[in-house]
Amino acid sequence: MIPRISLSLWTTLTLIFLLGPLVIIVGGSFTEAPHVTFPPEGFTLKWYAQLMEREDFLESFIDSMVLAVAATAAATILGTIAALALARENFKGREAFRAFLMSPLILPTVVTGVALFQFIRLLEIPSNMLGLIIGHTLITLPYVIRTVGAALVGLDKSLAEAAEVLGAKPARILFQVVMPAIAPAILVSVIFAFIVSFDQVTISIFLTGPDVMTLPIRIYTYIEFAIDPMIAAVSTLLILFAYLLVVGLERAFGLDKVFGKKG
Amino acid sequence: MADASLVQNDTEADRPGGPGGARDGEIAAAAQRRRLWRRVFQLSPITLLYVVGLILPYLYLLRMSFNIYDPMLVFREAFALDNYIKLLTDAFYLQIVAETIWLGVAVTLFTLIVGYPIAWQIARAKSHVKSLLLAAVLSPLLINLVVRTYGWLAILGDNGILNGWMLDLGLIGSPLPLSNNFWTVVVGLGHVTLPFMVLSLVSVMESLSDELLEAGENLGASTFQIFTDVVWPLTWAGVGAGSILVFCFSISAFVTPALLGGGHVSTVSTLIYEKFTFSVNWPVGSALVFILLAMNMVVIMIHGRLFRHED
Repeated sequence: MIPRISLSLWTTLTLIFLLGPLVIIVGGSFTEAPHVTFPPEGFTLKWYAQLMEREDFLESFIDSMVLAVAATAAATILGTIAALALARENFKGREAFRAFLMSPLILPTVVTGVALFQFIRLLEIPSNMLGLIIGHTLITLPYVIRTVGAALVGLDKSLAEAAEVLGAKPARILFQVVMPAIAPAILVSVIFAFIVSFDQVTISIFLTGPDVMTLPIRIYTYIEFAIDPMIAAVSTLLILFAYLLVVGLERAFGLDKVFGKKG
Repeated sequence: MADASLVQNDTEADRPGGPGGARDGEIAAAAQRRRLWRRVFQLSPITLLYVVGLILPYLYLLRMSFNIYDPMLVFREAFALDNYIKLLTDAFYLQIVAETIWLGVAVTLFTLIVGYPIAWQIARAKSHVKSLLLAAVLSPLLINLVVRTYGWLAILGDNGILNGWMLDLGLIGSPLPLSNNFWTVVVGLGHVTLPFMVLSLVSVMESLSDELLEAGENLGASTFQIFTDVVWPLTWAGVGAGSILVFCFSISAFVTPALLGGGHVSTVSTLIYEKFTFSVNWPVGSALVFILLAMNMVVIMIHGRLFRHED
């Protein structure tokens, strides 16, 4: 009996450890005190009002959105084509090639960031945005290839064969049989890629410059000097944003599919 | 890499017909050419991106690591091992490598101790409790890394919540220095990596059957004995998989040590950042990159050795 109670107690403490910082940030964003307190002292929206007046944060939000949309589009298109090719073609070294495509997940992001930073400087590319898009596309591609690839493995081969027997051309099979079947997986990877890109910090920190600074890097440079509740306000908005995306996903497809677990 | 493998492809399933006439051979050759072109067409855009965005940058860093630092010119072209020799003999760098490894070990132990019981609870729970607990464990993954780190700064800082509580209760007279040290970084990284550890453990624990535990109980084993003799050996593979994920993530992490360490905790990653930004010592920074990659590889190899039979 005692082990069971202590197990439950430990689980509760672990959940407090995991979720505590998030609760404190959300609560702290409404505090009247000049630093984050918990429970919040009084109730005010002044930190949100202050945030809305910061044009640099708004610009960074737009930069992050543009970057995430561009990287997501590139990763989804390239990744879906690659996943289709890997599922259909059967060539020597295919598994090695697949592992190579997944490598940005395994390589330390700080190293990939530094490598891109140096290479872009070598090529004297004037736009920081281009480097950021390349970096973010590389980081999000493995998720697309894995999600779409898993859907293609589960795809019933006889569907495409039936279409072929009935005389459908390859292009028609692709767009009228295969694509509708993997469309949910593509949508899931779009949202995943978007979240991963929007949240990326380590690669971005090397590649931001005077013309672009993503929102996470803006927050990073801000909290190096000050920890006031305005950051709690922007953090709360980001938490809300992430949860809305995932709740939307969950509503549409169910959580098991989203996290690729259970099977 | 891709093109090399594309050229010499050919599989028995694809090859049409047998050794027929010259006409058949021509058709087969044409079909094979078409297949080859199709593959090149499909896979060359992504290959190009990886070559430009990953392979060439890494090769350039490798080349840079053999150059020699020069305060005036940033670096001098050379082909020397000086940087590596310096990194592997200088006590300053060796200590940072040691501290990085120690950080990885500490975070791994932390997540193992904190995560093992909750993973067990999740694996044994009924389905609706299980999905609720899993969602709770996974939800921090959705929160931006900088935001989570900020949360820990707000809790552990000098003006932070823990200090505020203890001051209010009269437990302490002045704020305790809870932030900007090694253990703050361990807690922050533990928070980031705990979901990885828990997921690895749950996937192994789920396959453990209830009968096995009941058998142990019926044979009169104590809870502690069941744990050491049955549960722990059978979940060893999950411990290994989770540990390697957490360890490799921790030694390569940059944001958490940089922010929570407040400049007092140096790891190989924070040093790499420092060498490329503030001190502009690209050759030594590049050599550090390959030291970090080597550290990751050694750990993965050790893991492969230890867990070869389990897989």
